[in-house]
Amino acid sequence: MKKFILQTAAILSATLAVASATETTYTNFIRQIQLPTGVQYDASVATSGEQLSPLEINPGGARFELWTVKSSPLTNYLLDTRYVGAYVPIAQVVIDCEDTYGKDLTNIGPVPSNIPAMIRRTRADRPFSVYITTSGLLSGATDPAASKSVKLLRHVQSYGLAGTGVILDRTQATLLSQASINANGVQTLAYTLNSIPGSDRTKVRGEERFSVFSLADYQAPESQLASQFIQVWPVADGAISGITQNQSIRFSMPQVTLTLNDLYPDSRTYAQVYRGEPQLGTTGTIVPGSHQIINDSVPQSRVLTLMNYDDTFDSDGRWTMEILTVTPFGVDRLAHVSFTLDRTIQLNGSFNTIE
Amino acid sequence: MNRITTIHAPRISIKFIALLGLNVLAVDLHSQPEKKQIMHDSVTHEQLSAALRGSVQKDPMKSLKTEMGADPSVVNRPQDLISQSDVVCFGGYATLVPKGAILQIPKNFKDRIHIQPGVQIQSWSDFYAANRGWITAVEVSRVQAEGNKPISQDTHKQMVKSGNLIVATYQGGPISVLPLKHTEASNKTQP
Repeated sequence: MKKFILQTAAILSATLAVASATETTYTNFIRQIQLPTGVQYDASVATSGEQLSPLEINPGGARFELWTVKSSPLTNYLLDTRYVGAYVPIAQVVIDCEDTYGKDLTNIGPVPSNIPAMIRRTRADRPFSVYITTSGLLSGATDPAASKSVKLLRHVQSYGLAGTGVILDRTQATLLSQASINANGVQTLAYTLNSIPGSDRTKVRGEERFSVFSLADYQAPESQLASQFIQVWPVADGAISGITQNQSIRFSMPQVTLTLNDLYPDSRTYAQVYRGEPQLGTTGTIVPGSHQIINDSVPQSRVLTLMNYDDTFDSDGRWTMEILTVTPFGVDRLAHVSFTLDRTIQLNGSFNTIE
Repeated sequence: MNRITTIHAPRISIKFIALLGLNVLAVDLHSQPEKKQIMHDSVTHEQLSAALRGSVQKDPMKSLKTEMGADPSVVNRPQDLISQSDVVCFGGYATLVPKGAILQIPKNFKDRIHIQPGVQIQSWSDFYAANRGWITAVEVSRVQAEGNKPISQDTHKQMVKSGNLIVATYQGGPISVLPLKHTEASNKTQP
């Protein structure tokens, strides 16, 4: 019989995400279910940390379920589950991407690792990789089937329009594909894009989940050995209104409205102006009042009104205003408009002298 | 004599200067020493759709042996925690213990074995610490929890005598106790 280390840090982000949305209290429970007897044991746990389960695991294994329970109304949410057993293989899933939020940067090994309490995230147009590590797989002719192979599942699930994934029913996820792994070691799966459902590919928001399950045998059904998901957020878009393309502006600059949608959770967005026609890569002058810094867990939208910014323009002539957003993936131009500025007033007069 | 006079429109105010100062500060704090990055126009739906088609064809899971069958994450999904638990509730607080962990419910405590509106859920250890006066935890062995060995008669006598709510625990944590299996061993263990 063996004991199992209970780790509870993984629940933190999900619990906090739920808790912050409604300001009700949540309590975490780990339930150990012995197989095949069905004896259930409650291991009280702190919000984060680890401890050994005092209840030895039977040869049939045990399933550990991590739940958080909302007080009012009484509701429970399954956060994670893991099956361990005497001959059941061990699996680990790690998802990596360009945004290092949630990545354990102290790990410089060939297989990255993530901080348990944080959810990795990327953007709808960016790639990601999945590392599946399996150990304990046997290959003997007489070894049980459940010890010789595990099943890898890929699920996708949309959060819906403006959804954030809070209180998500993950039983509604779509099983995209499943495959078997028969050898110990690391499998690296590189995806250039996500496959989350969505008619506008720039605006998909949801999650991709990769899970490893054991095979069914006489003691336990197919049970989850490891699972991890990555959140995918939409590409930001923006619009400039109040100035039209090729407008000729006299006297003072008009009031301008910037509409910024789906700004990435870690981003900096601003409007800049520079002389001449639009040209990618040009560094201009930031328009006062346009600078937005987003440091959140979900995308944000803003509507900004710019006024009294005439001093940004040091001369008359042809100018371009553009909205830029800086994210972990680079700098993207969301919108631009070019116009002609002519603030010079010409007075034509005549002086006559009568002698 | 004709003459041309040039006049610039007024452009600046005190308020504007203040705004400008704040924004310059913000830029200094967050963006100034920034590595030069390549700038792109935002990707379009058409570009992503075309890229996705290529991505699907190169699905890396195709390098593994394809499996079929029902989704085990749905078929074998763990049951609801609440339906698998009994609620113990008192004084504005409640906790959950596995069904089968409560070994004795005295009549006067029956109304405490269901959820009441507005209570706050606590862990077993917190709830038990505050309610030791009417809850008694009885330690059982793993074999007893599996129904392979009866709870001793001495313990039974203490349970009845105490008049408290009795919860079976294993090293402090509530544990369900399965009905006793009628085995040869169980028949012999009655002291």
